[in-house]
Amino acid sequence: MRPLFQFFSSLKLTVVLLAFSMALIFFGTLDQVHYGIWETQKRYFESFLVVWAYPEQWVGYDFLFWLHLPMPGGYLLGGLLFVNLVTAHITRFKLSWKKSGIFLVHFGLILLLVSELLTDLVSVESQMPVDEGGTSNYSTAFRDNELVFIDRSHPDHDQVHAIPASLLKPGKTIDVPDTPLQIRTLSYYANAEVGRSTAGTNVETPATQGIAPRMGIVISPKAESFADEDINTATAYVEVLGSEGSLGVWLVSNVIDERFPPQIVQYGNQDWEMALRFTRNYYPFEIELIDFSHDKYPGTEIPHNFSSEVMVRHQDSTKNQKALIYMNHPLRYEGLTFYQASFANQDTTSIFQVVRNPGWLLPYVSVLLMGLGMSVQFGMHFFKFLNKRRT
Amino acid sequence: MKKLIYSLILLLVAYILWGGLRSAKIDSGFDVASFAELPVQVGGRIKPLDSVARNTLLILSARQKVITPEGATLSPIEWFMDLTMRPEVADTYRVFKIEFPDDLGLAGLAEKGQRYYSYNDLQPHFEELRQLYSQIDPEPQKRSAYDKQIADINDGLMRYHRIMHSLHPVGGPDRLDRLVDEYQSYTATIGPGLVELRKQQAGEDYDAALLNRFIAFGDDYLKLSQIAMLRVVPPPPPVDPMEDWKNIGLELLDVMKGDPLSPYVTSYAALTMAYRSGDMETFNNEVSTLRQRFIGDFPSEIDRVHFEYVFNSLQPFYMSMQLYVLIFLIACLSWLRWPKELGRAAFWLLMLAFAVHTFGLLARMYIQGRPPITNLYSSAVFVGWGAVLLGVFIEKFYKNGIGAAMASLVGFSTLIVAHHLAMSGDTLEMMRAVLDSNFWLATHVIIITFGYSAMFLAGALAIVFIMLGVFTRSFHKETARSLSGMVYGITAFGVLFSLVGTILGGIWADQSWGRFWGWDPKENGALMIVVMGAIYLHARWGGLFRERGLMALAICGNIVTAWSWFGTNLLGVGLHSYGFTDSGFYWLVAFWLSQSVFIATGLLPWRYWRSEFGQANDRKERKRILIASEPVESTAQSR
Repeated sequence: MRPLFQFFSSLKLTVVLLAFSMALIFFGTLDQVHYGIWETQKRYFESFLVVWAYPEQWVGYDFLFWLHLPMPGGYLLGGLLFVNLVTAHITRFKLSWKKSGIFLVHFGLILLLVSELLTDLVSVESQMPVDEGGTSNYSTAFRDNELVFIDRSHPDHDQVHAIPASLLKPGKTIDVPDTPLQIRTLSYYANAEVGRSTAGTNVETPATQGIAPRMGIVISPKAESFADEDINTATAYVEVLGSEGSLGVWLVSNVIDERFPPQIVQYGNQDWEMALRFTRNYYPFEIELIDFSHDKYPGTEIPHNFSSEVMVRHQDSTKNQKALIYMNHPLRYEGLTFYQASFANQDTTSIFQVVRNPGWLLPYVSVLLMGLGMSVQFGMHFFKFLNKRRT
Repeated sequence: MKKLIYSLILLLVAYILWGGLRSAKIDSGFDVASFAELPVQVGGRIKPLDSVARNTLLILSARQKVITPEGATLSPIEWFMDLTMRPEVADTYRVFKIEFPDDLGLAGLAEKGQRYYSYNDLQPHFEELRQLYSQIDPEPQKRSAYDKQIADINDGLMRYHRIMHSLHPVGGPDRLDRLVDEYQSYTATIGPGLVELRKQQAGEDYDAALLNRFIAFGDDYLKLSQIAMLRVVPPPPPVDPMEDWKNIGLELLDVMKGDPLSPYVTSYAALTMAYRSGDMETFNNEVSTLRQRFIGDFPSEIDRVHFEYVFNSLQPFYMSMQLYVLIFLIACLSWLRWPKELGRAAFWLLMLAFAVHTFGLLARMYIQGRPPITNLYSSAVFVGWGAVLLGVFIEKFYKNGIGAAMASLVGFSTLIVAHHLAMSGDTLEMMRAVLDSNFWLATHVIIITFGYSAMFLAGALAIVFIMLGVFTRSFHKETARSLSGMVYGITAFGVLFSLVGTILGGIWADQSWGRFWGWDPKENGALMIVVMGAIYLHARWGGLFRERGLMALAICGNIVTAWSWFGTNLLGVGLHSYGFTDSGFYWLVAFWLSQSVFIATGLLPWRYWRSEFGQANDRKERKRILIASEPVESTAQSR
């Protein structure tokens, strides 16, 4: 046990782990060119092991294609650093004034590691476009999809039954919650080309119902893109089952959206609209965009300011609120934060980034601790140095 | 002796300062200085024409002077005056810098040893150039050096043409010498012209000659409005600072709508005619009228515009660059002879250079109305400034010339980097909304950049350690210890600032995008500096590395910092990739290689170190080996 403790608390391990962290961050930055920020983040920083491969685009790929560097991923390094730090404090450090700065820095660091992990695991990002004069009560996550069955029979509201796309595994049968229906996924593509067949409507498709056989729509699977600005066309063939058996196979895709007539599943005497769409988060309030402004520097196209004047109307009207959202000035409301992210339609639509991150305050605390600790530590060294000089 | 040294240095300094001040004055009968201060709206800001002239010349020629075929040297504004008002003369000036003219394969263009060409030199090759241009990669980032040269020539010619048309329509002498008449006949034609046009549209009889003249004016000014680059016509008073200014063509066109012709337009026409005929008095009067009008319309802008002109002509960064060279030489000399006198001179000169550098930094802040770092250029200026600030403190404490030498080296190098970054054009551009003034933004950028300064200075000091240790005899244990102490202190500063800056950046990101940390390349780069510093500090505190190992780590700090500063921008991804430079890549690699050579030198076995410090370590090491091997022998014997 002793040697194990000694190993895990040693400074040598710290330095080695830090060196590995450098390599990880470096290669995790390089690979962003080819895989985009999202994918790289998953591969490098939210993983235990990662292998860097010599990029095809670089010179000399023909000779160096075999070059692969395995290295520990962010979770592994972060975890080990955490263990290293904690054991070091248990075994080696004695709390004293002289070391108080170091303690603060290390404690802040632990908090920062924890808060990053928390953010990775629980924070949710999505987008909410709102037209001027319009309102919205949901945000859309363009990286996630859901299969929905919408029951529009109620006069005052719609009922939405949603299944996350991650559950659409080929061959698996799932009950659609609160309905007599079941679905079985025939195939699911994270990204695909969806278009009309040139052969007209006489085309072979697994789909027997809905828009695909009617309009001769065919698909060809594509590699999933991780580039930041790309949106993947998630597409699936889904068989819907009633209690007596199959009702048919539908083609669903997130590009077959409101622009197309709804695909209806009829069972018994009830209708459902069926669609695969970007995952929506609904809120108990709606946001009305009163005005969006986009100013430029005079005589240029350089944006000077974007801002959105909004009115938030909550179901509980005591929580209604007016707000101006602009760069660096988000609206924090009900545990969500709304940022001015983008705009569209000749400056008449404002797009907000909506983030739910329950741990958002933690980095601030840890940062305060680390800054304070560093100042204390180096301050003490510095004054000691000055005194030594003087004497 | 002492007096002689001091007065010699004083003389050199006076020479440098006088050189800077002298270039501010231009002697010719024309009131060039007032002309240089005439306003123009560029990049969202009102600037003096002087700034436009300098930036344009920097882009075309990569320098701030023009040499005429007669061998006279022109300042940027004098060149600008010739370009706009005497284009037939300006076309003979060699202002287009072509680094590899032979590569273009244009028969009859390339002259041996000549890298500058005039418009008239290039003109016979326009058709070929256009063809070459149509063949290169349309995406700028994928262009080769050859493609880039062609694109640069093409863009340069376009810019030259558009700047030339900025003050008035351009044509042969018959047109330029009669601009005032042209405007008069134009304004006189508008009323009757419109009447004839209406008649024509209604199918009635009309005066075809008059209508054609009117339409010819319209066509010509429409073209002009598309070509003219500079917005030199302010809106009529009362003025709103956020309002767009017009270029000359647009202003002339808008007269058709019934707007009165701006007096700025007619003044420029009169100026041009006076300049062409050599009529200094009219020219100077006209410039003065224009200036008075501008002062009346924009009372709050005039000081800033004037100051920008003064700042341009003083070129404080160029001045401090020269001073840094002088300081470096004096400090190096101080290690050979007269250490006390030269050391003191180096220290006070460093203070002077720092003051000039600071003036430049503050001047830019005042002109732009922004925090000091707004782009890659200004970050380079700031890195040097920070390093010199730290160097002043080191020199004050240690008084051995090392701090002064290295601070001036870093200051000089970063200003050189800045100088090359300035070639891409205006360095005082406005910032995008995302990067607009915000407390966290301004502070995190400044603090991180100060961290760069510290890391570079620490790296430079580590290089001194290794160079002195390996190659000189007079490097003792005490020098080693004091240098090592300097590196430690400065690195600690660097880590502190990098960490705090990175964290403040996180706070800013949280306020702007909703995530504290996004693994963006620039953020990662900053984090790497922090980690590098943490490695250094832990290795030192834990006694894992001795002095030279720590020096090697400090030089690694240079590599990491350069990556963070420039490398991440080269990737062209992420939120921070606004300062793209591509020839920068080769320089970055060269820098890395040089640093690796220093590290390798430092890791040479002790016996190759010439200094006493190295020799002592060598002896110690041998002894250790002997001691280590002894007991083994004795046990063997006892058996």
